[in-house]
Amino acid sequence: MKNFLKRTFISLLVFSFSLPAFAEVSVIVHPSNASSISNDDIKRIFLGKMKSFPGGSQVLPVNQSSASATRKAFDSGALGKSASQIKAYWSKLVFSGKGNPPKEVPNDQDVINLVKDNPAVIGYIDSASVSGDVKVVAKF
Amino acid sequence: MKKIFLSFVLSAICFSPQLIATEINFSGFATIAGGLTTDDNETLQGYDSDLSVSNNSLIALQASTDLGEGWGITTQLISKGSEDWNLATEWAFVSYDTSNDWRFLFGRQRAPFYVYSDYLDVSYAYHWINPPGGVYSLPFDTVDGIGVIKNSTLGSFDSTIHFTTGRNQGDFEVQGLPSEADFGDFYSFAWTLNKDWFTVRLSYASSTFSVFADALTPLTDGWRAANFPQVADSLEVVDDSGDFKGIGIIIDYNNFLFVTEFTQVDPGDSFFPPNDSYYLSFGYRTNNGMFHLTTGVDDNEPNFAMLNGIPSGVDPGLDFLIASTQGLLQSNLEDTSFYTLGYKWDLDAPISLKFEYTTFEDDVFSTNEASLLQFAIVTVF
Repeated sequence: MKNFLKRTFISLLVFSFSLPAFAEVSVIVHPSNASSISNDDIKRIFLGKMKSFPGGSQVLPVNQSSASATRKAFDSGALGKSASQIKAYWSKLVFSGKGNPPKEVPNDQDVINLVKDNPAVIGYIDSASVSGDVKVVAKF
Repeated sequence: MKKIFLSFVLSAICFSPQLIATEINFSGFATIAGGLTTDDNETLQGYDSDLSVSNNSLIALQASTDLGEGWGITTQLISKGSEDWNLATEWAFVSYDTSNDWRFLFGRQRAPFYVYSDYLDVSYAYHWINPPGGVYSLPFDTVDGIGVIKNSTLGSFDSTIHFTTGRNQGDFEVQGLPSEADFGDFYSFAWTLNKDWFTVRLSYASSTFSVFADALTPLTDGWRAANFPQVADSLEVVDDSGDFKGIGIIIDYNNFLFVTEFTQVDPGDSFFPPNDSYYLSFGYRTNNGMFHLTTGVDDNEPNFAMLNGIPSGVDPGLDFLIASTQGLLQSNLEDTSFYTLGYKWDLDAPISLKFEYTTFEDDVFSTNEASLLQFAIVTVF
């Protein structure tokens, strides 16, 4: 009985720690991008409400695939919504022909490649993947 | 022969990138809903006491493509269980976006009457299985015409102005019999202001309408034969004009959701009654879903003015016409209310399972009162 309680306790402990397993996410832009970008701007850009950087140049947000942990961390940290809330939000726009969600790429390296080649792109990656090719504008 | 085939395949491969110049995006959504009333004699929203899974079910496919320089094409095909799963074109338009946030839509599109009009069929996008039927009761949702959408910021608010003009011709039901209607000179206007968790929306629409209802011909013929053509004219719906007003508020604050809509339909001089409806909906978000409670009222006041000055008790034939006409107008009287309690459960996959229990009260025709259990599997893909 004692063993059972111990095992249950440990597995509960493991389970409760596995829940908030979101790694830190960094929002990145091209190093030449001098715009000061607030957290609210990031939210509006990734919800399709803001189509240019505060400086006025065009913005192209890039998402990670919806199954990735980085995406989940970004949705909850930067956008403050669950994956299904985000999906519901975009379905309102997609099925009324009013907008499309940002394009999705599969991993951090693809985001870095897009950002370093195009000053219009804004993306997010696991903070551990940040390289000198990109500039970090926010962390969640 | 083999070589010819190979060169054909190679040239096809080489040329195909030029032929398919644009990428077509396919997406879609589906609702598979079922329901049954809790008592043998009750019917509600098309359900009776035997489980039915066709009434509210639908599957839709959308194809859209970006033609470049702001131009795009979108079409949405819906197959509804209530229409025997026959495919219908719900949206079909060419769009043009300017660089300063003006958007023009040409073709078949949704008229922006209600808060949820734009994505009425996309149950995944809201908490109920369907938006409340008392408010969402106009006989048509789409128009063939032109739409203009302007997004802008007003201080710290996001503002969306949506103007639509066009025409709708289609099926219409009068006294339970199928007939046809023509809504012309239609224009509608909706203004939405949003900031974070707060949204307010105002809408107005106006239209002329004609209804071709064979069911009413015996009555109108009778009034003409009795030498009261003005009553016949009042009963005929030819180029009458009416309007619609709506106001909606959404408060979506952390785990709490509050939505309300109030709508008013004024069908002008026609014999259709003016209608007032509203609902209040409260939701509480859980880890993976939402509990919600909605209540609403639907109120029609028939107008008997067309019978003013018609002498009764003089002629049995005339009395019969008066009684029939009163019966027709009286049948439009409505004073109903409902409560819906529901839960929306979001799975990890883009699927929600929805469960609802509705009680419907009718202060005029008590036989209409009913309780309904509904469930639905809804998805977007």
